[in-house]
Amino acid sequence: MNIFQRIIVEPFEKCYEKLLYFLPNLFASILLLVIGIFLAVIIRMIFQKFFRTIKLDKFLERSGIVEALSRSGIRESLSVLISKIIGWIIVLTFLIVSMQNLRIPTVEQLLERFFLYIPNMFIAAFILIIGYLLSNFFRRAVLIASVNAGIKYSGLLSKFVKFTVFILSCTMALEQLGIGRETILIAFAITFGGVILALAIACGLGGKDIAKGYLEKKMKEDNKGDGINHL
Amino acid sequence: MAKDEMDNITENNPLDEQAKGIGEADILVGIPSYNNAHTIGHVVRAVQAGLAKYFPEQKTLLVNSDGGSTDGTKEIVRDTTVDDFQTILITRKAAPFFKIVTPYQGIPGKGSAFRAIFEIANTLKVKACAVVDSDLRSITPEWIELLVKPVLEGGFDYVAPLYQRHKYDGTITNSIVYPLTSALYGERVRQPIGGDFGFSGKLAGFYLAKEVWETDVARYGIDIWMTTTAIANNFPICQSYLGAKIHDAKDPGADLSAMLYQVVSAALDLMETYSAVWKPVRSSKPVPTLGFQYDVGLEPVNVNLERMIDRFSLGIKELGVFWKEFMSKELYNFFTKLTGSRKKTFRIPDEIWVETIYSFILAAHRRVMNREHLLKSLTPLYIGRTASFVMETLDSGAREVEEKIENLRSTFEAKKDFLIRNWDE
Repeated sequence: MNIFQRIIVEPFEKCYEKLLYFLPNLFASILLLVIGIFLAVIIRMIFQKFFRTIKLDKFLERSGIVEALSRSGIRESLSVLISKIIGWIIVLTFLIVSMQNLRIPTVEQLLERFFLYIPNMFIAAFILIIGYLLSNFFRRAVLIASVNAGIKYSGLLSKFVKFTVFILSCTMALEQLGIGRETILIAFAITFGGVILALAIACGLGGKDIAKGYLEKKMKEDNKGDGINHL
Repeated sequence: MAKDEMDNITENNPLDEQAKGIGEADILVGIPSYNNAHTIGHVVRAVQAGLAKYFPEQKTLLVNSDGGSTDGTKEIVRDTTVDDFQTILITRKAAPFFKIVTPYQGIPGKGSAFRAIFEIANTLKVKACAVVDSDLRSITPEWIELLVKPVLEGGFDYVAPLYQRHKYDGTITNSIVYPLTSALYGERVRQPIGGDFGFSGKLAGFYLAKEVWETDVARYGIDIWMTTTAIANNFPICQSYLGAKIHDAKDPGADLSAMLYQVVSAALDLMETYSAVWKPVRSSKPVPTLGFQYDVGLEPVNVNLERMIDRFSLGIKELGVFWKEFMSKELYNFFTKLTGSRKKTFRIPDEIWVETIYSFILAAHRRVMNREHLLKSLTPLYIGRTASFVMETLDSGAREVEEKIENLRSTFEAKKDFLIRNWDE
C-alpha cells in the first residue's frame, strides 16, 4: 500500500497541487492577454483618429517616407501602419507580462534576456530608418549637384552615394544587434576600401586614357564656357 | 582743398563713439566690402568726388562696412582721397567729409554689412543714404547725385538703379526677378537686385527695426529684401539711370545653382511675409525713372548654346522624377519632348516658363521637398530658358530685347491667378 502510495498516488497529488497552483496563473495570464488585445484595439483606434486629426499622412508624404514605403510594396497609409504597430506593441507587452505571470523559470530567463535585448532592436531600427532617410537625402543632393555641374553619370554617382550611406547604416545597425560585430565591420571596410582601390586602379591603369580624354574634354568645355553674368 | 581738411577718419573705435564724434550728418554713402582692394579705391574716390561736387553744403559721411578683409581693403579706404578737386572741376570748398571704416558684427554677409550702415545712418539722423558695391569699375561721381538727389529733393524714399546691360547679362533678373516682382507687387522696378541703391534716413530706420538680421537676409538676399520691403510698405520709389554697370569679374567658380537658390528663396520668403500685399495686386505700373538715358558700348558676352542645351537635357533625364511630383503633366511632357529638339528649334515659350516658375514657387511654399534641393533643381530649366532666350534674340537690338522682357512680365501678370489659386490650397 505504501509503495503504491509513494509511486503512484504521491506524484499525482504533487502534480495536482502544482496544477492547482499553476491554473490560477494560467487563467490570469489568459485574462491579461485578452485585456491586452482588447486594449490594443481601442488604443489603435484612438491613435488612428489622432493621426488623422493632425494630418500626419500629409506631413510624412512631404518627407519622402510614404514614397519609400510604397516602393517597398506597403500600400497602407502611414497613420494606419503606425497605429497597428502601437497596437502590436501593446499586445506584445501584455503577452510578455502574461508569460511572466506563469512563473516558469525557463520562460522567465528567456524573457529576461529578451527584455535586455529589446533596446538594441529599437536602436538598430532607428539607425536603419535614419540611414535610409539620410541615404535618400544625400542621393538627391549629389544628383542635383552633379547634374548642375554637367556630370553625365550623375545618376550612377548618386546611386553609389545612396548605397554607401545605407550600407554604412546597416553595418551600424547589425553591430548594435551584436551580430558578427567585427566580421561585419571588417567586411564593410574591405568591401568599401576594395571598391575605392578598384576604381583608383581602373582609373590609373586600365582607364587612364579614358580619364585623360574626359578631363581634357572637360577642360576644353570649361574654356568654351559662357560669360553670362546671371544676376 | 587739402587732404587733412577733407578727411576725418575714424576706425577701430566702437561705433557709438565714432558716431558721437561726428554728431549728425546729412548724407551717408555706405560701401560693404570683403577683399576688394583692387577696386575699392576707385569707388571711394568717386563717392568723395560725387559728394563734394553735388552736395557741397551738406555734411557727408562715407561708411565702409567690412567683412574682415585680409587684402588691405580697409587701409585703402582709409588712405584713399581725392587729392586734386580742381581736375574734376570742383573749386568750392565743401562742407566736412567724414569716413568711418568699421568691421560689421553678426552673421557674415552683405546684409549684416548693410545693417551696420543703417545703424550709423540712424544714429547720425542722416536725411539720405546710398549704398554702392565695392567692386564697381564704372561708378562715377554722378551716381551719387542720381542715387541721393531723388531722396533729398524728389520726395522719394527709395531709389533703385537702372543700368544699361548687355542683352545676355542679368538673365536671372530678366527672366525671374524683374517680371516676378512686378507681377507680384505692381511696381516695375527694372533692377530689383541691382546692388546700388539710394534711400531716405526714415527708410533706413524702418529697415533697421525689422527683425530679419539673424535670418538669411543677413547672408544674402538683402537687395531684393530692400526693394520689396520698400514697395510692400508703400514708400515712394523711383529708379535712376546710372549707365553701364561694369564690375570686377565674379568668381568663375561661383555656383549658378547657389545663386539661383539664394535669389528665388529670398523672393519666396518675401512672398510668405507679404502674401496679403501681393494677392490683391492685379497689374503693374512703371515707376518714375530719373536721369538722362544714353547708349553705352558694352563688352560682348560669350554664350555656349550647345553646352547649355546639353545641361538642360541632362537635367530632364535625371531630375524629371522630382519635378513630376508638382508639375502639371502637360508641362512635364513639354520638357521631355523638348530634349529631342534640335538647337534651331529649341524654344521655351513665356507661358511655359511662367508656369514653371510658379510651379516651383508653389512647391517650395508647400514644402514638397527640401527647399534648397528643390530650387537648385531649377537650374537646368533656367539654363534651357536662357538658351531659348539667346536664340530668340540673336539678331535683336536692345529695344527688341527689352520688349521681349516686357512681354514676359505681362505673361507673369496674366498667369498670376494660377499662383493665387494654388497658394492657399
